[in-house]
Amino acid sequence: MEIPISYYLLLSGILFTIGVVGVLTRRNAIVVFMSIELMLNAVNLTLVAFSKQFNSLDGQIFVFFVMVVAAAEVAVGLALIVAIFRLKQTVSIDKINIMKW
Amino acid sequence: MIPILFFFFAAVAIASGIMMIVHRNPIYCALFLILTLFAVAGLYVLLNAPFIAAVHIIVYAGAIMVLFLFVIMLLDLKSETSRQRPGGLPRILSIIMSGVLLAELVLFLRSGTANLPLVEGDLIIGSTKEIGNLLFTEYLFPFEITSVLLLSSIIGSVILARLKLK
Amino acid sequence: MLFNFATALVFLIFGGLFVLLNLGISRILQARNPHPVKISTYECGELPEGESWIQFNIRFYVVALVFLIFEVEIIFLFPWALVFKDLGLFAFVEMMIFVFILLVGLAYVWAKGDLDWDKPQSVPAPELSQSYEQKEVTETVDS
Repeated sequence: MEIPISYYLLLSGILFTIGVVGVLTRRNAIVVFMSIELMLNAVNLTLVAFSKQFNSLDGQIFVFFVMVVAAAEVAVGLALIVAIFRLKQTVSIDKINIMKW
Repeated sequence: MIPILFFFFAAVAIASGIMMIVHRNPIYCALFLILTLFAVAGLYVLLNAPFIAAVHIIVYAGAIMVLFLFVIMLLDLKSETSRQRPGGLPRILSIIMSGVLLAELVLFLRSGTANLPLVEGDLIIGSTKEIGNLLFTEYLFPFEITSVLLLSSIIGSVILARLKLK
Repeated sequence: MLFNFATALVFLIFGGLFVLLNLGISRILQARNPHPVKISTYECGELPEGESWIQFNIRFYVVALVFLIFEVEIIFLFPWALVFKDLGLFAFVEMMIFVFILLVGLAYVWAKGDLDWDKPQSVPAPELSQSYEQKEVTETVDS
């Protein structure tokens, strides 16, 4: 028996929303970053689900590139967090307001 | 069997995702995120994408989450593990807005994917070879651009990590 | 195809069960009478100093960054290795361009000295590392 694609899409929507809640409610910049990773994963799941639905591999190739972008994003983003921590001694996004005046 | 596995992996993914955003200790958050990633990898296998599942574990659990744990250890965030959530209005508002987003997604999915056509033909399985054939012919240019992206990210992150305090 | 992954699934399930079972058995059988000495990290006279959550040196972080980038390169090498025979020289040249561009990044990091281990002036957070040394000095004086 096959699982209909709408189940996968619903799961991906739920995971995406969990990521959004994490970004909006957490104050630790690293956990906010992890929530963004969760959102990227939700989108990847959608791409693979559609790839199966339309019987084509293009969606899976897209997942490849999303993963590469996620890796590059993590490298630069975590380097930014480390640099900000060395400047302010905190990663709480409430206290990182050096660009706000 | 497949429905059981689907619901098992989905439950694990959602439960550990929720645990990730509510747990106070960032190390536990990272470990719960790894659990979510494994569940998503299981779903990829169910979706006929075994190579994507393997690569997903290699890249996310093997490299990205290692880097996350590394930074958590590097920054010594003990003082940050105490309660530091926004109380009151901002938090309630953000949860309401997330609920609205979820409702929108569900409504859209119900209306949009109710009768998607199922493409006929041989079932394509995303094996390593199939993906390689597509990647190195049709998607050749994006593949090469990817290397420039990685180059810029390695140089940028190393420069940021080197940044001296004034 | 799915059937091949049954092995992985069984492995996963039994791995999880093994851990839970053993932890559960020890939870049931153990005698619990905590004592400050018994719950310390080393029970055998070795006094633990500080906590297990210590700060790493930032040089490890640079190595981890380089590792991340080349791990991503690896995921492109797997499919390449399988289609190499069919596509021939063409695939070889395109992968060499890819690897070369990434090696430029490695050469940059190497030439700039970020991979050097003993480079005192690049110690990132001076006040933190100093406080560590000071703490050690005062503690040795005390003892």
